[in-house]
Amino acid sequence: MNRLARSLSLALLLAGTATAQKVSLTYLHGFTGPDRPVMEALIKKFNDTHPNIEVRGQAQPWGTTWQQLPALVASGRAPDVVVINEDQITGFIARGALTPLTAPEMKTAGLDKNKFFGPLFKTADYKGQSYGVPISSVAYVMFYNKDLMKKVGLDPTKPPRTRAEFLRAAQLCTVDKSGKNATQAGFDPKNLDTWGVSLYNNWVGSRAAYAAILQNGGALTDRNQNAAFNSPQAISAVQFLVDLVQKYGVARPNATEEAELAAFSQGKVCMFPSGQWYLDRFESQKMNFGVTFMPRIGGSVRDAAWGGSSHLTLPRQPASYSAAKRRAALEFMAWMAQPEQNLAWTATGSLPTQAAVAGNPRFETAAISGIFDRLNNVYATSGFPWVGQVMGPFDAAWEAAYLGKKPVAKALNDGVAEANKQIEQARKNFR
Amino acid sequence: MTTTQAPATHAPTGTRRRGSLEPYLYLLPHAALFFMFTVYPIGYGLYISLHRWDLLNNTQTFVGTEFFRNLFTSGTPQFEFFWRTLWNTTFFTLVSVPLLVAAALGLAALLHRPIFGRTFFRAVFFMPGILTVSVMGILWRWMFDNQIGLVNAARDLMTGAPPIAWLSTEGLAWVPIVVGTVWWTVGFNMTLYLAAMSNIPHSLYEAAALDGATGGQQFRFITWPMLTPITLFVVITTALASFQLFGQSLVITNGGPTRSTQSVIQYITEEGFTNSQISSAAAMGFVFGLMMLVLTAAQFRLMARDVQSTEEK
Repeated sequence: MNRLARSLSLALLLAGTATAQKVSLTYLHGFTGPDRPVMEALIKKFNDTHPNIEVRGQAQPWGTTWQQLPALVASGRAPDVVVINEDQITGFIARGALTPLTAPEMKTAGLDKNKFFGPLFKTADYKGQSYGVPISSVAYVMFYNKDLMKKVGLDPTKPPRTRAEFLRAAQLCTVDKSGKNATQAGFDPKNLDTWGVSLYNNWVGSRAAYAAILQNGGALTDRNQNAAFNSPQAISAVQFLVDLVQKYGVARPNATEEAELAAFSQGKVCMFPSGQWYLDRFESQKMNFGVTFMPRIGGSVRDAAWGGSSHLTLPRQPASYSAAKRRAALEFMAWMAQPEQNLAWTATGSLPTQAAVAGNPRFETAAISGIFDRLNNVYATSGFPWVGQVMGPFDAAWEAAYLGKKPVAKALNDGVAEANKQIEQARKNFR
Repeated sequence: MTTTQAPATHAPTGTRRRGSLEPYLYLLPHAALFFMFTVYPIGYGLYISLHRWDLLNNTQTFVGTEFFRNLFTSGTPQFEFFWRTLWNTTFFTLVSVPLLVAAALGLAALLHRPIFGRTFFRAVFFMPGILTVSVMGILWRWMFDNQIGLVNAARDLMTGAPPIAWLSTEGLAWVPIVVGTVWWTVGFNMTLYLAAMSNIPHSLYEAAALDGATGGQQFRFITWPMLTPITLFVVITTALASFQLFGQSLVITNGGPTRSTQSVIQYITEEGFTNSQISSAAAMGFVFGLMMLVLTAAQFRLMARDVQSTEEK
């Protein structure tokens, strides 16, 4: 009894003195899966090394956060730091839910944009101001089967980089049941034994089209943020992908992601473009595979692949919000983005956010390092407030083109028309 | 003595006093919850549907019936997709309800009889209902996969026919959704029918047998009419559940190919949360809710007349 009372009063005393100087921050994030313990360990490490700041992490599903954040900001009860993903961030910025990180603030906190992979920081930029610090990144990559490549006479240490190399590899890999490949006379595309590349119709599949459009100098939206994925560059890039199915017969029609995934796992496909998150799966299957950046299949203007990212942001707070809290929050954000923490975070399967981390010896023998030379070319679907209005019709357009339900130009034109009608209505929400 | 006295002195005064407040006190908890979770949200939803509502805006502009008008103005995405997805949902209901009612009745008729392993089979047919929609959806998506699905594999094995692209052919994409839904929910209706069948007095069948009625005749003139009230219940609840189609088509086809299996609820969710058009979604919710109300009322009246007429017989 006595001891309990003593330790209780001691605890109270400690708590009293602590709160006198200690800044307490609430930190909301959506890392609720296997990445949760990694994030919680990082928070603990921060708290242990920063006696004046106490960060209280709270994990909840992303969707819940997107629904609650407006209400929390409107009522002046927003958490001090919130993680927001690339597809949501511009919408929240445009609606005024977040505050910009000023140059002096970034400087004081020791945040140097130039150290990060360029497009990553720009993901959270809007109208010339930064709103988020990237801490996690995923990207579209191209897995390839080394054994299969060797078998058809390709050099597995030199995965294709250009459209011509890519097409040649895909044609050599596409072999029918009688052993003829796609370049030979008498090739029967109806009875494939192995084939060149996996294309499929869901949103993951449509990210290959996104990469191809960027590679050809196209974009999803124009400078007025209207949908513009029907430019001549975009049509030509997507047409090449559809030709892989319809003209060259090196990709299967009507394929599902699951079927292609199974086929790649079984060694039936040479090249499998998809999210880097499948790395684990192929590694645990002990496949002999490599990972490379998406080749320039759409065109030769630039390297490009789709990527997703999570950003630390500071929501809008009431006027009475303490400056000490904001300073502490910036300190926490800068710390979390440092190479050491980012390296720890890559254990969750995230890609490095900066060159300093990508150069770590840990990755020397890792398969994923095959894309590290071009991490500066990973582009998110961001920068316009209506990502849903653009991506929904875009994914539908890819589906219609890939399945052969519409010619490419019509599919993309229809998609743009639909997206722009939706945008016209969404614009009324922003004034 | 006590038995006559006690009510005489006690009951009248007692009931009068209680009559004033007590019933309302009993009703209070439910009424409070009803207002909090039903009346208030409906009112608030109506408010949202009449404004350009965004919590982050300081002013919620009143727009009147703009979002309702969108649904009836050709050329808007709302007009196009709301009616198309509503038709998709209606199509699903028209196909799935008769199947769900007939299959449930058939299974119940079989399992009502004292056959071997009756309890086991009842459990087998009921069991899928305990799965979540995501588990059920993934299962049927795999079964009907264009390339690696069990259905195509079985077709190949038995007939050598080329695979069918179930998931990416308009029309055919309904097959996994309908088959999956029947497999998933038929057990519930079956259980209702089984319970109702065990309530039919045995003497009716004995009398009929004495008159020389065959099994089929017994079903037609005794079982089916006696089951009319439960059929009314099953049809209405199944139709309402079918109109709320969401998870199955979301997981199995994601509304595809080209929105041909997108349900109206999925579209409302997309409008609200993907497109952030909460007010527009609220307006659609009201229009859809109103339709369900009218439909249920009509169905109820139609079938209630049936129930009455059979009971009068």
